[in-house]
Amino acid sequence: MTVATLPIERPAGRLRQLVASGIGPILAVVLAIIVGGVVVLVSGSNPITAYQQMLVGAVGSPFDISETFISSIPLILAAYAVSFAFRCGLFNIGAEGQLYMGAIASTWLATTFPNWPGIVLIIVCIVAAMVAGGAWAGIAGWLKAKTGAHEVITTMMLSYVAIDISHWLLEAGPMTPSNAYGTPESGPIPPQAAFPIILPSWILPNARLNASLFLTILAGVVFAWILWRTPLGYEIRAVGFNPKAAAYGGINVARRLVIAMVIAGAFAGLAGMVPVWVQMRLYDSFSPGYGYEAIAVALVGRNSAIGIFLAGLLYGAMIHGAVAMQANANISGFLVQILQALVLFFVGAEMLIRWLLRRGGLRALVEAPA
Amino acid sequence: MDVIGTLASIFARPDLWAGTLRFAAPLTLAALGGVISERSGVVNIAMEGMMLVGAFFSVLVAAATHDIVLATLASVLCGGLIAAIHGVASIHLRANQIVSGMAINLLALGLTSFLMFRFFATSGTPSDIPALPDVKIPVINNIPFVGAVIGDQNLVVWLSILAVPLAWWFLFRTRIGLRIRAVGEHPRAADTLGISVYRIRYLCVILSGLLSGLGGAYLSLSVAHSFSDNMTSGAGFIALAAMIFGKWNPIGAFLACLLFGFGQSLGINLQGTGFPDQLVAATPYVLTVVALAGFVGRAIAPAADGVPYEVGE
Repeated sequence: MTVATLPIERPAGRLRQLVASGIGPILAVVLAIIVGGVVVLVSGSNPITAYQQMLVGAVGSPFDISETFISSIPLILAAYAVSFAFRCGLFNIGAEGQLYMGAIASTWLATTFPNWPGIVLIIVCIVAAMVAGGAWAGIAGWLKAKTGAHEVITTMMLSYVAIDISHWLLEAGPMTPSNAYGTPESGPIPPQAAFPIILPSWILPNARLNASLFLTILAGVVFAWILWRTPLGYEIRAVGFNPKAAAYGGINVARRLVIAMVIAGAFAGLAGMVPVWVQMRLYDSFSPGYGYEAIAVALVGRNSAIGIFLAGLLYGAMIHGAVAMQANANISGFLVQILQALVLFFVGAEMLIRWLLRRGGLRALVEAPA
Repeated sequence: MDVIGTLASIFARPDLWAGTLRFAAPLTLAALGGVISERSGVVNIAMEGMMLVGAFFSVLVAAATHDIVLATLASVLCGGLIAAIHGVASIHLRANQIVSGMAINLLALGLTSFLMFRFFATSGTPSDIPALPDVKIPVINNIPFVGAVIGDQNLVVWLSILAVPLAWWFLFRTRIGLRIRAVGEHPRAADTLGISVYRIRYLCVILSGLLSGLGGAYLSLSVAHSFSDNMTSGAGFIALAAMIFGKWNPIGAFLACLLFGFGQSLGINLQGTGFPDQLVAATPYVLTVVALAGFVGRAIAPAADGVPYEVGE
């Protein structure tokens, strides 16, 4: 199994490049909507109604837009975790476990020291989430570097271990307060440690979107900065591109593998903390599979910071929009997974897209360096 | 708590060992499929999706026809069909095979749950669907311990065990097996010798779909006797791990599946004994990591695994 074949792109410096690298995913989305519509039609429902309800549900009101962001943020952060490892030639299939570790560490701190001042506590929790996620991913990186243990297995196995640990902590006691009504959940996150809500309630009542959005944007900047503006990032990409050549060029490949995994895990740890800080409690099985969907987001976003941010927003919008669609149009919200799969499929089947573009006389776009 | 005593009594339970075989069976089928597919050079991380499709469509057909043969056939065919999509993407469209595999997994989850809602949303799948038959072995059935372990296992369990030496023989002792491995190691050389790289790869990918589909049917028709959203819950990924753990060898993969099956069975048997079963459930995963790092060593994939091939380049 190799991921070295994944394209290594240069940052899109020119507008044409930007358009050229975006046209594939956009066409993929269009194709996915068409094919998904056929699925809806065949199953006996009206695709127009379905998409209309989904769109309205996702962005139809300021409140829904805020919720769409909330659905997107963990996906975006976890996708940075997948992508950063990808850039080093590692397939981090275990962001799910890393984000569980981040959620556990930050929740543990916040519930153990509920009297600390808010600003201190939240910073400590952010650091703890990143350290925990990074350490968990680092194990896989270290094993890869030391023994060659395949990261696809180790990250996945460590994921299951992390999830089992969280089950134990929440179901068998250690993190469950005695006054919980028999439901496996942690104590509350102290209110002073909450992320500030972005829109005050006199503008938009009940909006939950908080400052973790800025944290996510910052994470994207850091992601791109490390990879494209630092020697470390250069070396990580070199290892990802061709480990043998990188070693020949004097790069300590083993160490880069470990560092790349640790940084990747730190993004995932953050991705785990954010949803807990929305619900203000760590619930058992709190993640609906962010770490797995993030793989799709990373691939659709073509492993670039901006691409991932946009892909994450798209996937988050579909997830939130599906709630209204299922309620109002009586069509299963799982249509979203079908659409997500189709987007991914058409992004992967680049040849198909190129062929379609050529048929449509858009050769210039196809030939532009993607 | 008497740890040793409790463990000893659990290890003496035939349930533990019968459960090991039961849990290992669907994993084995999927892992063997993965081995065959990757030996031909097509990375397959889509066993999860193929199993899920097999699980759903077998129940759908079972509910409609009450015919176990048709239901099983449906699972195998649908597994093969969705594998064929992965085949087209990986072989003809030269898509990134990890991307395509992930897409297949997501598609299977979406499609099966979408159709589940469409057909069975109100009441769940019917309870009167037929099950895959158990095989009662007359004499062995009556031997005290052994009888309880293997005397009354499901047909699919036996099929999965039988499939292991069969897959090994197929890959390493037949002409087509040699061709498969040639295509997976050095497709250009195989092509030069007149072997159709594409045809071999399609065959292997579809074979993996057929096997995973059957594994899925076993999960839904026999183990759960129903279908629920995402019911494979990672079994296909465990099979993927078993494949790599077993170094792309059918026998190694089977042993890894037994380990995972044992872990699952142990977790269930420890429930209610005072052991933190959530942590026990994690032991096979920890063991895998330790084993992989400690003494299994570097897992080396077939040389052309995941590399698309272009005829006449």
